[in-house]
Amino acid sequence: MADKIIIDVLTLDSVQCAACGYMMESIAALPTDVQEMIKYQEWSIKNKTGVDKFMELKGKVLPTICIEGALVFESIIPQYEELIDEMAKRAPDDAMRDRIISLREKGFEFDKIQENLEKAGSGMKTRTDS
Amino acid sequence: MAKQMLIDAYRGKRTQKAPWVPYAGVHCAFIINEPADKFLQDPELLAKGIVETAKRYKADGIPLLFDLSVEANAIGCDLKWWPDNVPSVTTHPCSDKTPADAGLKLPTKDSGRWPVIFEAARIAKPQLEELDCAMMGLFCGPLTLASHLAGVRIFTDVYKNKEFAREVCKFAGEVGAVSAQLYAEMGCDIIANVDPVASQIRPETFREYVKPNCNAATKVVHDAGLTSSFFICGDCTKVMEEVCKLGTHGFAIDEQLNMNFIRDMARKYNVGFGGNLKLTLALSLGLLSPREDAIVSLAAGGQHGYTFAPG
Repeated sequence: MADKIIIDVLTLDSVQCAACGYMMESIAALPTDVQEMIKYQEWSIKNKTGVDKFMELKGKVLPTICIEGALVFESIIPQYEELIDEMAKRAPDDAMRDRIISLREKGFEFDKIQENLEKAGSGMKTRTDS
Repeated sequence: MAKQMLIDAYRGKRTQKAPWVPYAGVHCAFIINEPADKFLQDPELLAKGIVETAKRYKADGIPLLFDLSVEANAIGCDLKWWPDNVPSVTTHPCSDKTPADAGLKLPTKDSGRWPVIFEAARIAKPQLEELDCAMMGLFCGPLTLASHLAGVRIFTDVYKNKEFAREVCKFAGEVGAVSAQLYAEMGCDIIANVDPVASQIRPETFREYVKPNCNAATKVVHDAGLTSSFFICGDCTKVMEEVCKLGTHGFAIDEQLNMNFIRDMARKYNVGFGGNLKLTLALSLGLLSPREDAIVSLAAGGQHGYTFAPG
């Protein structure tokens, strides 16, 4: 397996802000087969590391989903297929791209959202001192 | 403190100066040194926090609470509680079925946390009246509630499964109308439809799923002779024209929008507008001077339908 696709979600705070929360959930609800190919994290602008990441990625609005460093979904919560297509475009190799595209009809899964959000640190670093 | 001045500004009228509303939310819990989860479930603490915060910040109006999980919780969604934040919705009963198939019922004043909110309002209202401070009721807007009910799939369904999305959003709008009625009954002076995720969609989606499902709640507010507003978060530039056409007395936006643009838009449609002190960059992180940021907001907002508030 090649490297994972890196997804950074720039947020205000995925707990306080529903838009940020559903941006995070759009990644956390991706099916297990997709989860195996991605690595994602919430970056809340409420703390310094989040601000640094916002600057590094040249973020413009919140929330934004960045895939492999590109600002892809800026203030638009993506449809499932849009997410799959944008990840496939940025897959590190052809095998992973083909595997992602093969999951285009699969759709969101809701049974592991909380577990996936916890892995991504969602809502855990939303204090100015975190 | 000046309740009537706030109501006038919310209705798009000229005021002697810009009235001020701190959308304090769980900051009220911080003010009284209580954890947010305890504060939000205890009517006496809720009332105490609101009144103390209104006094502390010399508010012209203050929300009874700013918690968009109330509606979802009252119709069956589970919550995760946080000591320093609002609760988050953790289950989506319509993730694989319609509200009717999921057996969801419209809430009543006995559902979920509504009894807590009624009791808090009963305690807080006379104290806020004495302060000449408006009590504001904020309810969860149709698309945000539809997201709570169906999960993130709703943003795909609005294109790919329109009948399902219509059913969920319609039910969410009906729930919102019940909330508006309950806030009217408990004596709120201003009632706002708060739909943060409505900024994350395209204008045609807003017209199809948000606007028609706001009308019933707005009518409830106006029939009660009260003042209505629509709160939206994020970069909502693309849907601002639609927000202005909703039929509410006004709207409020967050720190991501340019106040000159917003002021001109509000004037064009003759509605009130509120915002947009930079909650994160100035108030939270201090990367900008809160004082200078406030001066910029006040200068841009002016005294015609403008309410000074965090964004």
